[in-house]
Amino acid sequence: MDADNRNARAMNGRAEALVELYERAGYARVQPAILQPADVFLELSGEELRRRLFLTSDVGGEELCLRPDLTIPTCRMHIEKVAPVPASYCYLGPVFRDRGGGAGEYVQAGIESLGREDSEAADAECLSLALESAKQFDVSRPSVRMGDVGLFSALVAALDLPPVWQRRLLKDFNRTGTLAADLTTLKQPPSVGSAHAGMLAAIQGSDPTAARAFVADLLKIAGISNVGGRTLDEIAERFLEQASLGATSGLGSETMTALERYLSIEGDPDEALASLRKLAKDARLDLSSALDRFEQRVGFMAAGGLDVSGIRFATAFGRALDYYSGMVFEIYDAKGKVQWPLIAGGRYDRLMTLLGSPAPVPAVGFAAWVEELQQAGAA
Amino acid sequence: MSAPIIVGVPSKGRLMENAHAFFARAGMTLVQGRGGRDYRGTIPEIGGVEVAYLSAAEIASNLAQGAIHFGVTGEDLVRETMPDADARVLLVDGLGFGQANVVVAVPQAWIDVRTMRDLDDVANAFHTKRGKRMRVATKYVNLTRNFFAGHGIVDYRIVESLGATEGAPATGAAELIVDITTTGSTLAANGLKVVDDGIILRSQANLVASLTAPWGKSEKNAARALLDRIASERSARTMREVRSRFKSADAEMVAEAKGRFGAQAPLGGPTSSGMLTLLCPPDTVHDLAIFLRKQGAETVMVAAPEYVFARENPLYQALISRLG
Repeated sequence: MDADNRNARAMNGRAEALVELYERAGYARVQPAILQPADVFLELSGEELRRRLFLTSDVGGEELCLRPDLTIPTCRMHIEKVAPVPASYCYLGPVFRDRGGGAGEYVQAGIESLGREDSEAADAECLSLALESAKQFDVSRPSVRMGDVGLFSALVAALDLPPVWQRRLLKDFNRTGTLAADLTTLKQPPSVGSAHAGMLAAIQGSDPTAARAFVADLLKIAGISNVGGRTLDEIAERFLEQASLGATSGLGSETMTALERYLSIEGDPDEALASLRKLAKDARLDLSSALDRFEQRVGFMAAGGLDVSGIRFATAFGRALDYYSGMVFEIYDAKGKVQWPLIAGGRYDRLMTLLGSPAPVPAVGFAAWVEELQQAGAA
Repeated sequence: MSAPIIVGVPSKGRLMENAHAFFARAGMTLVQGRGGRDYRGTIPEIGGVEVAYLSAAEIASNLAQGAIHFGVTGEDLVRETMPDADARVLLVDGLGFGQANVVVAVPQAWIDVRTMRDLDDVANAFHTKRGKRMRVATKYVNLTRNFFAGHGIVDYRIVESLGATEGAPATGAAELIVDITTTGSTLAANGLKVVDDGIILRSQANLVASLTAPWGKSEKNAARALLDRIASERSARTMREVRSRFKSADAEMVAEAKGRFGAQAPLGGPTSSGMLTLLCPPDTVHDLAIFLRKQGAETVMVAAPEYVFARENPLYQALISRLG
């Protein structure tokens, strides 16, 4: 037996042991289909994902893909079976992603916990099991990076911003993870400017019905009969939004200061929490409910025996997948031998609804990259 | 006997006619084997060249794979087919036909959308409020994705459309489109307008060289012969020949004409009797003539040169420097 073969067998053995660990912890093993409808993934993650998907189609022309992860296939399976909640699943199997070179096929193991109402305890358990997974591969003292997408949503809501700014901030936070760079752009006023100034002045302070009539008149004068894609109400509503912004205002300086201060907060979770409480007090923002949940979560982690002071929390740490809604984390090889995250996960309370679940289902989970774990552990 | 270089030429329509006319101006006849039905042809004026008649899209993909050495095709197809176009092909020269823009177009009724930033905001609101992404109908999947990413737009889906894309918003198949347009009249007829900064690419037909095709010594020689004729036609097309003869013509005056009017003196400075031949771009030729008259010329004659053969061939030089 050559060395490659031996390594592969050793890795498979450890991966199986990993799933056994999950099963002992109460997660039922599932094997979702490898071939999945592409539409679901593209709708959830956007067109940027397309270049990383391995696509094909069936005879009827429906676009299919090899599963790029196991979270969505597991959730779809749960919904299709109309299974009761809470439900706990684990899995082990290949996922397929074009990373621009490399095999394109990677082994993932992971868990998904669906429907637990005690979110903060579930978050802590999820992270604990993720760290246990690293230990199984002899990855000693990995580095843990953590963020909280929900906290940012709470901040944006507390800032009392116009809807346009709320949407843009949440979008950019979800996307880039380097929001600090985007703040420069956000200081600029929205693009409406002089081109629509007269129209906005005319519409300012109108009620939605009057605004709608105004837009309908404009279209009639221009001889446009077919609206297409968006409703008159949507167009009128956007005009009203823009009008309420004022023609030249960017984000106010107090808001900017609060955002910049928020995004500069990092440290271990206890330090970060103290800074966040102080920011909320200084800027007179009501973040108490979100921060209490944060504190509870950290409390559960400490009670579960996690070394909380070893976790690196950063407010600006976001995940470039827009179904995450709360805690997010990534576990790295502290020695820097492996560049990719070894394990990544978080809370995704909106995903089940987006996938067609009739009722909202709180959910949290993680996926472990088995090859990376093996590589990081083989010291 | 070494293999010929293969030149891909559009096999039908306006693009084919224009390509034939372009080669004809450069003194090359494209002869289709067995009349109009064969998909192979030759250029009798120069040896070692075979013509392959292909669709414009096939020409782009054949260039990408290195299956043909040169091709006449639109820049839009080159950039759409090859995400790494500049590593695989060289756009040798724009040919002055097949001009069209690849643009982002939205319904005219979207009177609140003028810029890509507006579109970003609208797409984001659409996604947030409806829980669905806005759909963009296009055949330019890669161009669209790169352009939208450049503008930070993420809340959209691409719906592939291989014909009559401009009808997609009206039928409800998509909310907006990315398509090619020459005059914009088809867009207008379908109730669409181009977003102000939504021009993704100003395209035209190009002579494109594949960098991955086999380029041996004999292929390079054939390429030199081909590009020699094309370069000479190009110089002739973009220059007027200006001739005059007057006593006071001297080197200093020629230097001024070069600086002010972009003129060249390819045959050297004025002779002892004041004979002067200049080449000058068409748009400054009138000013140059007035200038020469003021300097003392009785008569200034301007003509279009048929060809300008120079020792240096910038097109071939550009290709060779990329091939290494």
